[in-house]
Amino acid sequence: MFTYIFKRIGLIIPTFIGITLITFLIIQLAPGDPAAMKLQGAGPGGLKSEAMAKTVIAQTRELYGLNEPLYKQYGLWLKRLVTLDFGESFKDHRPVIDKIKETLPITLTLNIISIFIIYLISVPLGIFSALHPRSVIDKITTFALFVLYSLPSFWVASLLIVFLGGADYLNLFPIVGFVSDGASALPWYGWLGNVAWHLVLPVMCLTYGGFAFLSRLSRASVLEVIRQDYIRTARAKGLPRWKVVYKHVLRNAMIPFLTLMGTLLPALLGGSVIIEQIFSIPGMGRLSFESVLMRDYPTIMAIAAIDGVLTLVGILISDILYVVVDPRITFNKLD
Amino acid sequence: MVMNLNADPTILNPILSGDYNAAFVSSFIFETLIEYDNETLLYKPLLAESWDVSGDHKQFTFHLRKGVHWQDGQPFTANDVVYSFNAIMDPKVDAAGSRVSLRDVEKVEAPDDNTVRFTYARPYFRALLVCGTMPIVPKHIFGAAVDFNKDPHNRMPVGTGPYIFKEWKTKQKVVLEKNPKYWGGEAGINSLVFRIIEDSAVAFQELKKGEIDFSEISPIKWERSTDTKVFEEKFNKVQYYLPSFSFIGWNMRRPFFGDKRVRHAMTMMINKKDILAKLLFGHGVIVEGDQYYFGDAYDKSIVSDPFDPEKAAQLLDEAGWTDHDGDGIRDKDGLPFKFDFYSTSSNFATQLGSILREELLKVGVVVNLRPLEFNALIRAVSERDFDAVMMGWALPLDNDTYMVWHSSEGDKGSNFVGFANPEADKILDKVRVEFDRNRRNELFRALQKILHDEQPYTFLFNQATLLAYSKRFTNVKVYKTGVDIKEWKVK
Repeated sequence: MFTYIFKRIGLIIPTFIGITLITFLIIQLAPGDPAAMKLQGAGPGGLKSEAMAKTVIAQTRELYGLNEPLYKQYGLWLKRLVTLDFGESFKDHRPVIDKIKETLPITLTLNIISIFIIYLISVPLGIFSALHPRSVIDKITTFALFVLYSLPSFWVASLLIVFLGGADYLNLFPIVGFVSDGASALPWYGWLGNVAWHLVLPVMCLTYGGFAFLSRLSRASVLEVIRQDYIRTARAKGLPRWKVVYKHVLRNAMIPFLTLMGTLLPALLGGSVIIEQIFSIPGMGRLSFESVLMRDYPTIMAIAAIDGVLTLVGILISDILYVVVDPRITFNKLD
Repeated sequence: MVMNLNADPTILNPILSGDYNAAFVSSFIFETLIEYDNETLLYKPLLAESWDVSGDHKQFTFHLRKGVHWQDGQPFTANDVVYSFNAIMDPKVDAAGSRVSLRDVEKVEAPDDNTVRFTYARPYFRALLVCGTMPIVPKHIFGAAVDFNKDPHNRMPVGTGPYIFKEWKTKQKVVLEKNPKYWGGEAGINSLVFRIIEDSAVAFQELKKGEIDFSEISPIKWERSTDTKVFEEKFNKVQYYLPSFSFIGWNMRRPFFGDKRVRHAMTMMINKKDILAKLLFGHGVIVEGDQYYFGDAYDKSIVSDPFDPEKAAQLLDEAGWTDHDGDGIRDKDGLPFKFDFYSTSSNFATQLGSILREELLKVGVVVNLRPLEFNALIRAVSERDFDAVMMGWALPLDNDTYMVWHSSEGDKGSNFVGFANPEADKILDKVRVEFDRNRRNELFRALQKILHDEQPYTFLFNQATLLAYSKRFTNVKVYKTGVDIKEWKVK
């Protein structure tokens, strides 16, 4: 098993280089030159002619290190990465790592809460539906979840803002930011309450769409297991129903969820651009969207690299967990 | 006073920043040698008390105001101006925007602490403005910096202006407080808080909740959501016009738009009055020229072609674009009249595009809408790879449109439609060295006539800026180009 893990980690490195290399090339191919963009905002000033603008653009490209051949630029980026140096942003010359440190905790909080709520509600709901298939309740929940799933989040967000956080109807929740100004003066529980209060609406928007997928998945896998012979055997030998469900059905039905683990880690970091934008939450989603619009290459690359690593690690963890939970799966043959 | 910005400022150093939000916040902290007068829209002294211009219009000597101090107590001197110029020109400083503006300044000298002299490479009517509005930063703070771009003061600026920087929480807010020792006297409002709220609908709700005192609002909100009693009790609404205009540019290199009759026909197919009323709720003016509509260089007697599909069809017939093969689409020399309409994906652009497509289909012209992300649009335009494009120009006052219309800028410059007119070229050359304002305005009007006749653009609108502000503020004057918060007071 350890040889297997060792091999897998060895494979992660070339995959990671592949991911970042492709990202690097794609952002270079996208229209828009970060140096030329610095000029657009400036507006007409003196006797600006194309020749003059060109000199200045060339100087700016030099400053950003964009005049080097691409392979050199990429090599340099990789070299710096080894020391965890992501370079500095073109936008304001701050170290990219600082920007990520600023936004990451906010996105993490938001996503951990949302994902937790999604699992907490949809998995039991799916199991319940599976144990009562084709009942009225099953039909109603299925229908309701699909209705929720099809509502676009920006629309729901706008409704929530107007009706629950706006000036005209109920003004219950704040609609801007992650925490109130001056909340840092509060004791820790007051601060926490303030954050929670701010997160009610964004978390609502981030969760309702996720129920359908997960509850369907858990419903399907429970139904699959429940039809197996060993379940019938367990019932036949007289085990109570709750024990069969808890001990035999659920444990086996949860295996497909491990596949989701692979996507869970990167999902924790990837912010929702739309929700963060609407609720003015300074998270990773806004950071990555903004750096793409501004062609802020170092920031884009840093985010892509972090996402890439997390996806690869997530997949590895889920593969290893398969072996841990299911004795039928083993790495021995591979060794 | 709390107001909102639609994005975080990039950096609070006027030499390095290029975005509107940074410029807006910086304008309360930093000052330039001269500025525009709100009433007259002419230059007036700011950090310079007066200035002399040499006979050949190449040397500008500014006499600095005495007794001005940086907000940390150090005196402001001519050395700061010279230092700022040298910083802008340093290739290691990320100041592309400022550097391009100042390319033609040969040198800046300080004969003594209170005098600074700019030397311009060639006579130019905007030279005084270019020199006088150069951003100025304190030498004693940046002079010792290892790397100008990374200096921490770029995020906690020190200026000479009426407001002192207090706090910046990235993507949340910037706070300024009034400068009690400001040379021009204390400002009327104690502190300015700029909250970063990207979504305009949220900003509007915050305004109504009383969390914001001052916010721009969209035409549709102005019309539909501000007529309540509660709103009118709390807020005043004003509108004004910044110098800018939107337009559709016709790529004259393309077979469709080489003929001015076709361009006029296109203009006649756009019902500007209707669009203005329906999309902008009347908050704009229809323009037919490249100068500021409310300035003295604009000739209001030149008006846009009225909406007239019959006349348009007739012009297209005359230009040879008729339906030869009977498929319902006009064609000429075997080429069907189908063109790509490039624009950003903003609501206004896409709605206008749809209206245009519908109207043009009625006269047998097919429009393909191509909404693009802004940078992709800029690339298409700078590579001349478009048939028609809808964009806007935000103009400075005393605008020099040489780079937009001169035939020499057709290949690489901002003359992306490929407009070439010897008469216009002559005027544009003359304008640059015409130092008499009245004679210059006459030249601009002559150019406007040519532009109307040639229709390289279908000029659209100068849209109004709509503003709501809390009634607790007094001394609010609405000028042609906006309001000046620096002179406001609180009840």
